[in-house]
Amino acid sequence: MAKVEIKVNGVKQSRNVEDRTLLANFLRDELGLTGTHIGCDTSQCGCCTVHVNGRAVKSCSVLAVQVNGADVLTIEGLAKGSKLHPVQQAFSECHGLQCGFCTPGMIMATVGMLKDTPNPSEEEIIHGLEGNLCRCTGYINIVKAVKQSAKMLRGKKPAKAAKKAAPKKKAKAAKKAKKSKKAKKAAKK
Amino acid sequence: MSTSAHSHHDPKMRVEDVRLITGGGKYAADWNFPGQLHAQFVRSDRAHAVIVAVNTEAARKHPGVKGVFTGADAVRAGYTKPPHSLTFAGVNGMKARAPERPVLAHGKVRFVGEALALVVAESAAAAADAAELIEIEYRDLPAVVSPEGALADGAPQLHEDVVPGNLALETEAGDAAAVEAAFANAAHITRLKLEVTRVAPNPMEPRACLVNHDPADDSYLFHVCSQGITTLRKQLSAYTSVSEDRIRFELGDVGGGFGQRTPAYPEYCALMIAAKETGRPVRWVSTRSEGFLSDTHGRGNIIEGALALDRDARFLAMRLEWVNDMGAYLSPASPGHIRNTTICMTGVYRIPALYAHYRVALTNTTPVSSYRGAGRPDIAYVVERLVSQAAAELDVDAAELRRRNFIPPEAFPYKTPTGSTYEYADLPGVLDKALRLADWKGFPKRRARAEKRGKLRGLGISTVIENSGAGQAAKDEVELELDAHGTVVAYTVSKAQGHSHETTLAMIVADALGLPLDRVEVRQCAPGKQQLQGNHTGGSRTTVGAGSVCHLAALKLIEHGRSLAALDLGVEPSQVEYAKGVFRSRESGRSVRLGDLAKNGAVSVVGEGKFGSTFPNGCHIVEVEIDPETGTTEIASYATVDDCGKVINHTVVEGQLHGGIAQGAGQVFGEQIVYDPGTGQLLTGSFMDYCMPRAGMLREISTEEHPTPSKVSPLGVKGMGESGCTASLPALANAVVDALRPLGVGHLDMPMTPAKLWHAVRTARKGGN
Amino acid sequence: MYALNYVKVKSLAEAAKMLASNPEAKLMAGGMTLVPTLKQRLAQPSHLVDIGALPELRGITAKAGTLTIGAATKHHDVATSAVAKKAIPSLAYLAGLIGDPQVRNLGTIGGSVANNDPAADYPAAVLGLGATVVTNKREIAADDYFQGMFTTALEEGEIITRIVFPVPRRAAYAKFAHPASGYAMAGVFVAQTSDGTRVAVTGAGPGVFRWKAAETALGKNPKAAAIEGVALDAGEMNEDIHATREYRANLVRVMAKRAIAQLR
Repeated sequence: MAKVEIKVNGVKQSRNVEDRTLLANFLRDELGLTGTHIGCDTSQCGCCTVHVNGRAVKSCSVLAVQVNGADVLTIEGLAKGSKLHPVQQAFSECHGLQCGFCTPGMIMATVGMLKDTPNPSEEEIIHGLEGNLCRCTGYINIVKAVKQSAKMLRGKKPAKAAKKAAPKKKAKAAKKAKKSKKAKKAAKK
Repeated sequence: MSTSAHSHHDPKMRVEDVRLITGGGKYAADWNFPGQLHAQFVRSDRAHAVIVAVNTEAARKHPGVKGVFTGADAVRAGYTKPPHSLTFAGVNGMKARAPERPVLAHGKVRFVGEALALVVAESAAAAADAAELIEIEYRDLPAVVSPEGALADGAPQLHEDVVPGNLALETEAGDAAAVEAAFANAAHITRLKLEVTRVAPNPMEPRACLVNHDPADDSYLFHVCSQGITTLRKQLSAYTSVSEDRIRFELGDVGGGFGQRTPAYPEYCALMIAAKETGRPVRWVSTRSEGFLSDTHGRGNIIEGALALDRDARFLAMRLEWVNDMGAYLSPASPGHIRNTTICMTGVYRIPALYAHYRVALTNTTPVSSYRGAGRPDIAYVVERLVSQAAAELDVDAAELRRRNFIPPEAFPYKTPTGSTYEYADLPGVLDKALRLADWKGFPKRRARAEKRGKLRGLGISTVIENSGAGQAAKDEVELELDAHGTVVAYTVSKAQGHSHETTLAMIVADALGLPLDRVEVRQCAPGKQQLQGNHTGGSRTTVGAGSVCHLAALKLIEHGRSLAALDLGVEPSQVEYAKGVFRSRESGRSVRLGDLAKNGAVSVVGEGKFGSTFPNGCHIVEVEIDPETGTTEIASYATVDDCGKVINHTVVEGQLHGGIAQGAGQVFGEQIVYDPGTGQLLTGSFMDYCMPRAGMLREISTEEHPTPSKVSPLGVKGMGESGCTASLPALANAVVDALRPLGVGHLDMPMTPAKLWHAVRTARKGGN
Repeated sequence: MYALNYVKVKSLAEAAKMLASNPEAKLMAGGMTLVPTLKQRLAQPSHLVDIGALPELRGITAKAGTLTIGAATKHHDVATSAVAKKAIPSLAYLAGLIGDPQVRNLGTIGGSVANNDPAADYPAAVLGLGATVVTNKREIAADDYFQGMFTTALEEGEIITRIVFPVPRRAAYAKFAHPASGYAMAGVFVAQTSDGTRVAVTGAGPGVFRWKAAETALGKNPKAAAIEGVALDAGEMNEDIHATREYRANLVRVMAKRAIAQLR
């Protein structure tokens, strides 16, 4: 048994669990956060994708004890109160989900992708979704949703007043994105 | 109802979305009860063997274990006879030979993954640990995994005397003599042997089931992935002899179904035994690997087809010889394989004589059941491959050959040689639109350009029709309940698995009542409303069935409300007008709001209806490019024109098409269940080996609608959940074969993997040298 | 997964000690291969010794014609490292093709090289570039390190600390991914170094190997056409339900040609 302390969606959680407990099961069974789904047992489907310290990972392939002390973000923590995250909104508006089972993982993977690649090409989107399977949509509307959410997220970044200095700002933003810590902050906005 | 009538609430987001995108969905594995036990099944690791002994002693002693159950318990409970639906007569009045299947295997195991013991324990880990302690002594028997092999002389016998020769049913359709005569006079005969490969439906949610037993009335409460409670309840009852009124459900979200979530699985009944015996809720969550072994597979048909044509390339007759692989047992939901292939056997063509002969085989493999389309994609694949092959052999344009043989619009309603009646289709209209959308005539130029890039470009077409919407239930019922706030709740026993019922059905009710969408709420399979009759969601039937009844129920609510309002207003009902949630007296101008009628208690009406098949149809045109160096295929363009009747929600319909087409493409290019022919082991038992479609496989689909309203439904709708899959299989396969035809390749079976295509190119080029 | 004990060690020495005193203990870093293996109950270690967070095992540095990558450096970090991209762009490119984004966020180079999956990507780069595998005990040349499927020169208790890659004149990697697993069905790493051209192949055979006949041919003529007729024994390739030996041999040739065309 191990004492595991993880900050989940901003709230510190502490539990005694078997060492073999997977992060996915920790979230689902110990914390009741059932929005993180388990769709396979070979790390292929990505339904269980959450963020650990700001990076997307498959929570079915990580031991809870392994991420002791980490910051974990799950689908339940993505919206700010009743305000949906732009990626959530885009998935819905583009009909990028049907049964919804893969959706939390798809959304968390997309949020992760857009941190690294705020303006992805279609090829980059496809490459970025390699770790996630969907059986309902044929992916067409998911790719559309990623494009739309990227637009929404980018649209939010530049301040209105800074129009004149836009090119410089953009360059700066790109530089920022490379520095991972700052990029995390930017994407959280 | 016109399209514009509901345009005022064409929702930007589906009603169900908010919960699903925020992690608030509640799937079968998300239910938990205090005191619940966790279940682990022990599954056969061999394909065919006698169970000599099962030693459960060590497992029972393992800490946390509360019960171990085996085949003996299943037999003692009498849970041995699964229902099946191959109930129609076969050749010479033959009846289907239905083997017993104790819910935990007893005596013999007949496929890898068959459950033969069940451990329930305080934790999932304890159950899994204990399951490993169960010792099973087997005596191996030779196994047969191919259906043709199973029917051959000397094949290992799965069920000995019960199913001699592993032949579960031999049946036929059409007129053999007429076909023989037509073939004798044919100018040309096209022949193909085709395999509609066995695939895994793989909804993303693994199967899960939680069973509570209530000793007070000896009833069972299920939390389970389901496509609707009525069919499941009936099958569970038939399997266990527990009466239907003692089987209840509480269902949340369902993470995909595609037919695989319809049947009563033996695991569910085994959990009933455990729940009753232990007096505790018992929860089972399947892994994906378990699912590959024990969730029903789809398709699995081998067909020898022949199409006879006259001098003008008009179809004279078609003969199909089927071998249907059902796996080790008959699944409760397996008739679609056969029935649906006869209903639309003639496809969209006037073929005067048809004959099909079926041999339904049992093999040492996972049972086969419905998968998106359930026989419809299979027959479309056969007919459309034959037609395109004939066009190539006769050097006739594939679209032109189709047009020449279409059932003309004036021939509808059209009675087919196998006894169905197609309602209506404007096939030339659909074809013309599709040819324009796909720029059919521009293909040679695109092929030439591809050739310069070293790519082999192919053009594929399919024109298909399918029966959809009919169900086995006596009728569909929907209850509408109006409360004092003027909110209307629609209760149905159908169950979406991604189909958007909460949006589409609400739109139908809201349209009929002239209410905003947020005043209508759809509840599916709700506790307390499970006595309603109706079909489960499958066979593309919910909008046709439950949807039409939603409309009828809303009209009934208006009529009922009019009488109530008339009393309030002190006038005759005929003097009361209704619009947008308000009843108004024509004379006095006084009005009563809909909600006012329920101020002393909810007002409820039950609508009902029984609907036959609708016949959605369409044309899909595809271009593919093959890289001859690696055999990789890229879908270069995909155009569809579909007649799904009146469309309620265009976004949802397009989404269904996308999904169906992707499942077809998955099967054409990579998906296949493969067993080792010697050992019967499953070789594609995880996503590491089973090629699921991924993002990028289909970049864009150009879709156009060509709606002709159906009179079967008062809404004019046709079922369309499966049509994408039905049309895409043959269209894509035809495109690949077309790309390789210049090299002399005549036919390839699915899956058309890079390796297979590379070999085909290489063999053809060697032959050409 | 069987019950086990997880230990996050604070130093390499502690890790070595744990391994020495627990013969059934296993090292883990990202866990991207190990955890799925454990989930299938295909291994039953007594302990998991997690070295993933040791700072001395992380980092990417370039100097004097070499690029050094700490064993616990994640694939994502290599794929996006400006230092790696500048020194050996093909290596960063390869790292970006491993698994999927989620796997790259956890999986490490040391884990991949220690595991030596016959279809993993990194072994092709390590062998193709003639890198040196540095452990807590010694330095091992790539040519001596890889010894076939899941087999390496590592001894019991030996821990990879870093990989030192000589910076080539030009190099490239071309991969044909398995359509289901994403592993290499054939991956070819071609490197032009001061000592000549090296061609390393992963995914196609029972373990990563050098295609020496192609190396010789490219030494004479560094063009894709040079390997057109070069011998490659299909009999040495893997065969399974996804691909025949002949197809894999073809993929090796095609991927080699594509890599050569992309040398930079």
